[in-house]
Amino acid sequence: MMAAVSDSLAQPVDLREPSGWRRSKNQIMTVLMWLAFVIVLIPLGFVLVTLIAKGADAISWQFLTNSTIPPNVLPLGTGGMGAAVVGTLEITGFATLLAVPLGVLGAVYLNEYGGNGILARLISFMSSVMTGVPSIVMGLFIYIIWVLHFGYSGMAGSFALACLMLPIVIRSSYEMLRLVPDSLRQGSYALGATKARVTLTVVLPAALSGIVSGALLAVARAAGETAPLIFTVLTVEQTNPNLFSGPDTALPLQIFSNAQSAYTGANARAWGAALTLVAITFILMIVARIITALFTRNTR
Amino acid sequence: MPLGRRQHVTTVAVAAVAAALGLAACSSSSSSSTTGSGSATTSASASASTSSVSGTIKAAGSTFQTNFQQTAISAFKSADPNVTVDYDPVGSGTGRADLYANTVLFAGSDSPVPSKEVSKVPAGKTILYFPVQIGPIAMAYNLPNVTGLKLDATVLAGIFQGTIKTWDDPAIKALNPGTSLPSTTITLAVRSDSSGTTQNFSQYLVDAAGSAWKLGTSSTITWPSTAHAGDGGSAVAQIVKSTTGAIGYVDFSTATAAGLQAAQIKNSAGDYVAPSSASATAAASHVTPKADLTFAAADEPGATSYPITYQSWDLVYSVQPNATDVALLKAYLGYLLSSAGQALLTPLNLSPLPSSIDSAAVAQLSMITS
Amino acid sequence: MSAVTKADPATPAGSAHPLNRRRPLGDRGFQILALAAGLLVLVILVLITVTTAQQSTAWFSGGFKDIFQVAFDGNTRFGAMGVLYGTVISSVIGVIIGVPVSVGIALLLTQVVPARWARPFVYVIDLLAVVPSVVWGLWGIIVLVPWLQKIYVDIASGLKGVPVLGTLFGGPNVTGASFFTAGLILAIMITPIITSLSREVIATVPDIDKEGAYALGATRWEMIRGAVWPHSQGGVVGAILVGFGRALGETIAVALVIGDSVEVTPHLFYSGHSIAAIIALQFGEATGGEFRSALIGLGLFLFVLTIVVNLVARWFVERSTRRARGE
Repeated sequence: MMAAVSDSLAQPVDLREPSGWRRSKNQIMTVLMWLAFVIVLIPLGFVLVTLIAKGADAISWQFLTNSTIPPNVLPLGTGGMGAAVVGTLEITGFATLLAVPLGVLGAVYLNEYGGNGILARLISFMSSVMTGVPSIVMGLFIYIIWVLHFGYSGMAGSFALACLMLPIVIRSSYEMLRLVPDSLRQGSYALGATKARVTLTVVLPAALSGIVSGALLAVARAAGETAPLIFTVLTVEQTNPNLFSGPDTALPLQIFSNAQSAYTGANARAWGAALTLVAITFILMIVARIITALFTRNTR
Repeated sequence: MPLGRRQHVTTVAVAAVAAALGLAACSSSSSSSTTGSGSATTSASASASTSSVSGTIKAAGSTFQTNFQQTAISAFKSADPNVTVDYDPVGSGTGRADLYANTVLFAGSDSPVPSKEVSKVPAGKTILYFPVQIGPIAMAYNLPNVTGLKLDATVLAGIFQGTIKTWDDPAIKALNPGTSLPSTTITLAVRSDSSGTTQNFSQYLVDAAGSAWKLGTSSTITWPSTAHAGDGGSAVAQIVKSTTGAIGYVDFSTATAAGLQAAQIKNSAGDYVAPSSASATAAASHVTPKADLTFAAADEPGATSYPITYQSWDLVYSVQPNATDVALLKAYLGYLLSSAGQALLTPLNLSPLPSSIDSAAVAQLSMITS
Repeated sequence: MSAVTKADPATPAGSAHPLNRRRPLGDRGFQILALAAGLLVLVILVLITVTTAQQSTAWFSGGFKDIFQVAFDGNTRFGAMGVLYGTVISSVIGVIIGVPVSVGIALLLTQVVPARWARPFVYVIDLLAVVPSVVWGLWGIIVLVPWLQKIYVDIASGLKGVPVLGTLFGGPNVTGASFFTAGLILAIMITPIITSLSREVIATVPDIDKEGAYALGATRWEMIRGAVWPHSQGGVVGAILVGFGRALGETIAVALVIGDSVEVTPHLFYSGHSIAAIIALQFGEATGGEFRSALIGLGLFLFVLTIVVNLVARWFVERSTRRARGE
């Protein structure tokens, strides 16, 4: 430090500028940080480009809607992934119906009723921890308590996905509910409303856009999950319209099994299914962002 | 605080999304199913149209039969919707073991019951052999700039026992004068499970390469330690596909569907023949089966015959415990042997049975009794 | 009525009776419903532990020697060590590769890029997060594995005979589908979560400390080291642990690119296996009682492992953000 000071006294000095090596070190570090971002762009770009190029070859109206999944060995052109598309929509849809109301209610408990109590803090902490539970464990869990007794079904898959979504919805809804200013609640209480009424008619609507976008992100995540479905849904080659009984299939499962095949036809179908799946999750993500962007002003 | 306009819009949006998901959940798929628009067409005039039969057939075995079984099962559903067939491609050895343990109704096997397994067959039970398909074993290789590779039995013996280690070995070069071969190390892709393809391939090497082949013949061979082993034919195809410089033995149907190149092999007439449905059919036309319908289609004479051709049977006990199983077996095996069933083979790059063998097999169906 | 104590606004004013007796039934019902929904989290976690333990007793009763062996062949040997090794090694590789990138991006987005330009960068990270695991696996096995196979072979032959590196990155059986490839894909997949958690943590560093550092003439990097890092190191460690936990449990992408052989080997370019991958791949073939029990037991083991890692991780993260918020 002293050397730097005496050095700088020797000539007209601009004390705002750091000396040689300190500036280079700073620049190097800045370059490295930018490099980190660029590094991440490479695989992302690679995957998206390959996905679009190879997936586009496979996608056609027949591919998306034909209800018979052909044997692996057959090339593109026969059958399609309609069974898997319907399966994904049904299974994920039902899982959403289960997880979102329960998750929002759980967040309501944490924010409105639980306060700083030990139970609320425990539930809040364990919800965060639960988001890190591997999805395969959820699949095994539902296999043991449901499939072993009632058989494979799309609904069992929905249960497993709902277990996965629940902590995510709780945490994101909790964050949104916290942002609702207390003044809104107190104004409502002042008018004589009960706590339930306040929550349902004032707090939830105020936090609605944030809750919805959080829920959509949870749905996007669930739609892409494979492992929970392996143990609960099995597989089929024809569309199973009944969500509540009989094995089913979904896009991630088809991608998984076709990816392991050496056949070019199966691989092509895998890319097509992958592009379809990413498109679905992408749309959900964009809708979530739009809702957030349009309505953020409201929560201040 | 009354709902503002923004909340109204959000609520409507939420309702719309929920309605869409709910609609999807409630509606059943009403799209028409086109089973086979081009390659695997089926005619509903299957000779065994016993639509009064219903039940499930559990079967397992040869991975060589996988493509045929999958396509046939799919087509059979339209001919006989009340019968469900489950074929598990676990390899010929495990398939036979399942048959001895009575956990399957028929086993797919590329070779007859070997002598060391005869004691495992339950006492008093006779096994009937129903040949179902014929096809080439392809020597699939992964060399991006080399097409039309030619090999013969002696060179194959050297490659697969590890004495020929690189692609530019003089022995390979001698057979391929006009082609430039890289110095890449040869990576072997082999079967790790008990396999009929291994059995037939090694038997071919014993017959055609003689003393040059030192590893014998069996459904499991002790390959050189550097070989990459895969469970099932498609695993071998996967290894070849993802490793430059790899060569593996895998049935031609799987190899082509995986997009792999196959080498031309020198046959007993001295000609280099590429594997194909036609060259396997040519080989099969010279086959004379034994009375129990077993035969070996390898190394057959004929200028256009592919030398490493093999076959596969569905093994069934002649006496079944109940009449339903008899009916199910006759229905499904009858379909595989019918003209509709056999017509599925050529588009899969396999070969149908010669008509004499096919008729003998159909006649043998009557020997299944309860 | 005392104006100082913060009375629960739901209590009707002037009521002398405790809350429960004065509230309408619907209100009470709603509270119970909300409580039940919250408790569901704890109930599910407990049920998972109990049910998987019940189903895996056949495996546990095999004795320690059986459980702690390396080999797992689905026939007679059901050891956990081989698959545990694969899980840990691939996750460690994922963290080693992913953490510098994730923390670098987090610093970039909080310290370098001005706040109003940060959004497109965040979108890119979100895009990375939204690609499903199975798609990473598909791309991995079809595109990455064959390409890496050639690179690994070249590296291995180049490092032949070199003492430590030769063992790690060499060996005759190097193959594209290996521990290292799995680690690479894991690095890509855990980057978004580590980045977003680190951003949260770093954002809570008080501005006054940062401005103080600048006032003393620090460059940006020196400010980061001196003002940001001391505040956020605990939280960033927590973020890294969350990422590690995510990597431990990642199933499908790893199953597709780690190869298919259970072994403990220092060669990182060799085929391996992981706990989650073996459960996913072998479950369909597990018809025997002990086989299935072993797979479920491995699932329980993975569950406990990830819970522990996440407990520690979340504790670090919440402690850091709470402290910085001044709670």
